[in-house]
Amino acid sequence: MSPAEESTAHGNQTAKAFTLTSAMWFAFATTFGMIAAGYLVAPDFMANVEYIHFGRVRPMHVNAVLFGFVTPGLIAAAFYYIPRLLRTRLYSERLGVFSAVFWNISVAAGMAGVALGYSQGREYAELPWLVDIMIVISFGLVIVNFLMTIRRRTEPILYVSIWYAAAAVVLTACTYLLGNVVWKPDTGALAGIPDAILLWFYGHNVFGLLLSPMALAVAYYVLPIATRSPLYSHTLSLIGFWSLIIVYTHIGTHHLLQVPVPTWLKTISIVDSVAMVIPVMVFLINIWYTVKGKLGDVHADIGAKFIFTGTIYYFFVNIQGSMMALPDVQRITHFNNWVVGHAHMGVLGFAGVTALGGLYFILPRITGRPLHSRFLADFQYWLVLIGITGFSIVLTIVGLIQGQAWYNGETLYRTLPGLQPYFITRLSLGLLIMVGAYTGLYNVARSLYFNRGAAA
Amino acid sequence: MRMTPAVILVGVLSLLAAIALTMVYWPYAQQDRTPSEIFRARTAEEEAGRLIYIQNGCVYCHSQSIRAFDWDMGSERIAQSGDYIADEPIQLGSQRTGPDLSQAGGEHPDDWHIAHFINPRYTRPSSLMPPFEWLGTERIDTLTRYVQSLGLKAADRRMERQKHWKAESIKAYEAGVEANARWLAEQVPEGWRSIPNPYPTSAAALQRGHRIYQYYCIGCHGPIGDGMGPAQPWIYPPPLNFTTLTGREISGGIIYYQLMNGITGTAMPYFKRDLESQKIWEVGDYIAHYFINQSDANHEPRGIDAAWEP
Repeated sequence: MSPAEESTAHGNQTAKAFTLTSAMWFAFATTFGMIAAGYLVAPDFMANVEYIHFGRVRPMHVNAVLFGFVTPGLIAAAFYYIPRLLRTRLYSERLGVFSAVFWNISVAAGMAGVALGYSQGREYAELPWLVDIMIVISFGLVIVNFLMTIRRRTEPILYVSIWYAAAAVVLTACTYLLGNVVWKPDTGALAGIPDAILLWFYGHNVFGLLLSPMALAVAYYVLPIATRSPLYSHTLSLIGFWSLIIVYTHIGTHHLLQVPVPTWLKTISIVDSVAMVIPVMVFLINIWYTVKGKLGDVHADIGAKFIFTGTIYYFFVNIQGSMMALPDVQRITHFNNWVVGHAHMGVLGFAGVTALGGLYFILPRITGRPLHSRFLADFQYWLVLIGITGFSIVLTIVGLIQGQAWYNGETLYRTLPGLQPYFITRLSLGLLIMVGAYTGLYNVARSLYFNRGAAA
Repeated sequence: MRMTPAVILVGVLSLLAAIALTMVYWPYAQQDRTPSEIFRARTAEEEAGRLIYIQNGCVYCHSQSIRAFDWDMGSERIAQSGDYIADEPIQLGSQRTGPDLSQAGGEHPDDWHIAHFINPRYTRPSSLMPPFEWLGTERIDTLTRYVQSLGLKAADRRMERQKHWKAESIKAYEAGVEANARWLAEQVPEGWRSIPNPYPTSAAALQRGHRIYQYYCIGCHGPIGDGMGPAQPWIYPPPLNFTTLTGREISGGIIYYQLMNGITGTAMPYFKRDLESQKIWEVGDYIAHYFINQSDANHEPRGIDAAWEP
């Protein structure tokens, strides 16, 4: 079949809907991020606009990135590769489109809730109770479509991408319910120290059981195709999958090493944080050996280029993360911008860049036409790459300044004037990322709806 | 290993269940719910203030989690699990763009907080906190009740002290300029009152003092030291007008002591955590030199001159 025929045969409305969702929320989320970064440079900036005040726009930024941009982007790719890997049609495009629409309504309701001051005040679990339920329903709709498609497969063997995608949505629906304490609608929280333990179990699993596996699934799908190489090792895929599920779920308490939680829990979280090198390196060895000697092919495909870059960030962010769980390191890095840098490396540098790669890989295949502009996609690649690399450097420097000063007995106020130039640099780098996001939105919208390119 | 849908789903779900049970439920079930010695329940108004704190994301910049190696505000009390038993949700936080607030209650009197919420730079010129004037008077008052309860029983003790000295300082202020200056000097221990500023006045030292003044003092005392900084309308007794101290025998030692320890009850905080000795002496001399127009810097008795002195 030609790409055009293939695209018509599948319909692909669901993948298209989630692609647009992701590109749109990337633009919104970076706008929220810019506003928040603006407050750090000039705190009186838009000082009396209640709904985008720093304490509200920051959780809007984080939740829009997690549940608006990255997750739907990775899900869009999954809606493309799942039917193809299983040699069948998607169970229901109508259900899929409905799930995408409902997903957008849920995220928008979450933004409105936080903007209006109904945040539940728990990092990564801010969204109000009603929105929590809507998010879980959104995941539920996606799960039904994934699992029913698996059920009607004609391909008996499940490829590793399928394992990750199925596990990620099912596990996240569970941890989301648990982490947001949905059985207590008024506060959405437990009381005391156990609330912190639960919160970070959930918060870290947003990354460990949702973004990482979904992103790895995309990398496992795209890179072998783009380089026309078989996957290096099935055994490594297996070890990587099971070790990821086991190790990642143990490490949330490394956010609480300096808090009165049981010592055995801290010990487990430190040991497993170091053990994270196993799933990470197993995946990287597997995927890097797969594309070994084929970097020209990676470069030629804009989707693969993004995704390969994501794997490099996956390496850095995880080695750094293992280090940060060591108590001696954490005495300096905790509570400051080092961690903000780390979070951006993980969520944007790895998962976000991988999601973008997934979008660019599937776009020509779901529309049956070439990308509206390869140039704009490359332009976005460099904007995002320079932005995120700059973020990593600047925020790490800020973190070291803060952490060392505090540890040596300087008060927080003493350090503030010296941070100004770094926050200005960070704002400028954020501008690159935001321009990248809007460029991407334009390119995606043109590719989906106003693409004058000839059908391939 | 053959990965079938059943293997994947049953496998990952049973792993998640087992791990959630050990890593979350077990510590929850084993939790020690004994209140710590500073614990008390919050009043309804404090709870209402806490809700404002939660809904406006104060936690993104203010931790409530004092560690064994902290030095800043609240570090006298290393956090214990019994401090948090009524916190739902707990607000430990993950970042300190502002100071930790575990023990913020009673660090300052209410009027300092009101001015600070209207615009944080009024009381802390180098603050990065956005203003909260839009909350309106009523919600700012409620939020202040919560902040003043942070530290619970320990905060109550500090608030008692604030209230006691607030009354004393108002009495002194209302007795007139002369009596107020005398009262301020009398609060300083005897030994400190007779000490002149041991550092010599120099152009460089005045420059440094000027910079410290701008970072820490200008919001209340104003650019010309007349106590008419932007915080002034919210603060009572109002910020001291330094120019009224001329001819009232205010020694360098008195100024140093009041900057170091602050004047509890008034909006004047202590600066001994923020500033080292030389910085306090030099900003003190800046005030004495420019605003009081009388400096005793490097007067006798001064002991052996330090090696670096001109």
